[in-house]
Amino acid sequence: MSTITVRDLRKTYVVPVREGGVKAALGALVRRRTREVEAVQRISFDIAEGEVVGFLGPNGAGKTTTLKMLAGLLHPTSGEASVGGHVPWRRDHGYLRSMALIMGQRNQLQWDIPVIDSYRLNRAVYRIADADFSSRLDELTDLLDLGSLLDKPVRNLSLGERMKCEVAGSLLHQPMTVFLDEPTIGLDVAMQRRIRSFIAEYNRRTGASVMLTSHYMGDVEALCQRVIVIHHGRLLHDGDLAGLVRTFSATKTITVEFDADADVAADLGGLRDHDDVTITDQSAHGLTVEVPKDRAPQVAARMLSTLPVADLTVEEPPIEGVIERVFTSQDEA
Amino acid sequence: MKGVVNAVRHHLAVVGSYLRVGLLNFVQYRTDFAVAVANALVGLVTQVIGLAVIFGQTTQLNGWDHSGLLVLVGVFFICSGLLGLVIRPSMQTLMEAIRLGTFDFTLTKPADSQVLASVQTVAPQAATDLLVGVGVIAWTLVSDGQGLHPWQVGAFLVALACGLAIIYSFLLMLSTFSFWFVKLDNILVVFEGLFQSAGRWPVSIFPPWLRLVLTFVVPVSFAVTVPAQAIVLGVDGATLAAAVGVAVLFLTGSRLFWRHALRHYTGASA
Amino acid sequence: MSTGLGLPAGRLAPRGGWSFFWQMYRGQFATALATQVAYRGATLIWVFTSIVHPLVSIVVWRSVAGGGRVAGYDASGFVTYFALEMVVNHVTFVWIMWEMEWRIRTGAYSPLLVRPVHPIHTDICQNLAYKLLGLVGILPAAVLLVLLFGGDLSVFTTGSVLAGLLATALAMVLRFMVEWTLSLAAFWVTKVSAINSVYFSLIAFLGGGFAPLAVLPGAAQTLAWWTPFPWGNIAWVNQVVTGRAVGVDLVRGYLAQLAWIAVALVVLKLVWARAVRTYSAVGS
Repeated sequence: MSTITVRDLRKTYVVPVREGGVKAALGALVRRRTREVEAVQRISFDIAEGEVVGFLGPNGAGKTTTLKMLAGLLHPTSGEASVGGHVPWRRDHGYLRSMALIMGQRNQLQWDIPVIDSYRLNRAVYRIADADFSSRLDELTDLLDLGSLLDKPVRNLSLGERMKCEVAGSLLHQPMTVFLDEPTIGLDVAMQRRIRSFIAEYNRRTGASVMLTSHYMGDVEALCQRVIVIHHGRLLHDGDLAGLVRTFSATKTITVEFDADADVAADLGGLRDHDDVTITDQSAHGLTVEVPKDRAPQVAARMLSTLPVADLTVEEPPIEGVIERVFTSQDEA
Repeated sequence: MKGVVNAVRHHLAVVGSYLRVGLLNFVQYRTDFAVAVANALVGLVTQVIGLAVIFGQTTQLNGWDHSGLLVLVGVFFICSGLLGLVIRPSMQTLMEAIRLGTFDFTLTKPADSQVLASVQTVAPQAATDLLVGVGVIAWTLVSDGQGLHPWQVGAFLVALACGLAIIYSFLLMLSTFSFWFVKLDNILVVFEGLFQSAGRWPVSIFPPWLRLVLTFVVPVSFAVTVPAQAIVLGVDGATLAAAVGVAVLFLTGSRLFWRHALRHYTGASA
Repeated sequence: MSTGLGLPAGRLAPRGGWSFFWQMYRGQFATALATQVAYRGATLIWVFTSIVHPLVSIVVWRSVAGGGRVAGYDASGFVTYFALEMVVNHVTFVWIMWEMEWRIRTGAYSPLLVRPVHPIHTDICQNLAYKLLGLVGILPAAVLLVLLFGGDLSVFTTGSVLAGLLATALAMVLRFMVEWTLSLAAFWVTKVSAINSVYFSLIAFLGGGFAPLAVLPGAAQTLAWWTPFPWGNIAWVNQVVTGRAVGVDLVRGYLAQLAWIAVALVVLKLVWARAVRTYSAVGS
């Protein structure tokens, strides 16, 4: 059974068209020219209970708009969505109590007071029973190592500590649907890992559905069995991460290491004559080339026979590169 | 019916929690409190000297005598304190939250967004103004040897509550404009200027057109003059009823405007 | 004279000669004016709030005067006084106290301190730019007040207005230096608002913002004229413009303004040198 169902969801914004120059500015006073921007164009997907889904796309792809519609902050222009049986943008309190939205670039904790007092505020707002509150707080404190932070005012916390406290505060009411918008932005690698493993643990313990946007592929690789890719408001891919690479990566990377004291011919055994082979890195000790996926076996065989190869590996290109390519190829198309 | 009672109880609990947080802020900033006391005292001394200078030249100002105006100054301080406790700081926070985008969090919470936005920031140091105001009124009445009839106290409290409700509604409407115009922080400065200058005088001294402006357009004088009148000159039932009527009108209007703005913010009507 | 950080402490005169000085002022003033134009909305709002105080004062003092005269002013005399007060207050007013507190609290002062010019010049330019732009709103507003409430314009003569312009210019210099020095309190005290409110209370009574000094009791008037406050504000400018101070009184008044400017300059330099030393000692 799926907790999140999205059908033909669409959101358009009307934005004023601004032109440079005094004449245009005066003209705009009389008649404002506007233009419709399609932020999200009829996307559909389902997310099952307990699933962790990564939501990818470049800046301005429509990720945050979609997330905001699902969190009930925006009304769609058309289309339907249901989260745990609720229509999000009706914002009935029952829905709001079962959901959390965590944004890495904005914080909701009160700046000047100790963290624990912000939590107590949430206890009142979310009507959390005292017993639940203290047991959940203990659990979160334990998982995120918050012990020494709870009595400090938020302004005295580092960025990473603040984010840990944000996340914990947003989960005190034990939401069954969690939307995370760039939860690890600006954090150091250790803290990113910490937040990631915590999210995974929360998902494992409560069975909550998690939807996550991030610019860090590390977040997505570590957490998400499944990714949804959107670009220019359109859904490009919905499936597992490996599938994404298989679908969109047209090339493979071949890396060879030469024998220690072998002479390497200047034409690299005829490798330079092939138009479809791109040399990305070359030194006295080795060589890295990129080739179309289906040509990889032939090129590898050729290199083995014409070059003094000590070691050879064939790899998929890094995931960041693949995603980047997806977006740029879409722009060109 | 049970649902309504429950909802009211929940919202009272929420308001209570925010007030508690405000008190905690107070502990965090003890120096702010000292500064607030100093400012309140300087403001009081300035007012008292000003009135002394004026009443060195005349015996009455449009029917208000020296001690009557002192009571009015006291009411001004009380209003200023009550506004400064929750309403003004919350409205400032609201505008900033809309600008920074953190207002989204208010909308994701399972409680009335207007209630949350209106109580989100508490500045307990404003209570000094409140105390100064009560002190000035008490001192004036005692030194004049004047007692207060319970009916006067009741009328005073009703008028004060109406005045505050009107100013609250007005400030909420001003702040709500930031859903459309993001850079609007200065608009509160305009209100503050009017309140600080015009609010210290009985509305009756102004020419009729200004009186209308200060009662309905930028309703700063109402909150101060009518309660002071209740103590100094006495008010009749009709005036009080009118005060209640205007307050209800303002509260309803600001509520409707808030909901309209929210629909705009979430794109419901687009 | 220099501090450990190589800051230009206490140095008001230019390093590169007067032509450099002129160039710098032109550049800074142009930037400041452009900034003010960009923030014209905020300026407009400020102009609007500036009208409130004179408006209320006119209403109050007109009521006090009734049909008679108070301390030499009748109802229309008060109207003129407060319309004038609005203009003079606008050109002499300085908001540097809040600015300075903000700069020091946020550490925004450090980049200003390492530039090879004294930061006061930036402030002067910003102030002038703001005032110039604000006058576009203030002057019509003053005319409006006079028309609306029936001000008395018979007191003005060409000579008194010209003499008043000089008095206003000197008042601008004096008040700017006094408030700039006062703003340096932020180097030592984190919460300056209490100091500011005492200062503004004093200036309201002794500078003439609350009412013409003539309405104060005799002793308070005498005391007031011995402080710098009336010389940097409406109190003195009003005496000149309305022809109350002429001949020897006029000359004596200008001399008093110059004397206070000299005193303020010395104090400013002393306090500034200490302030910078404090700042570089604590760091930020």
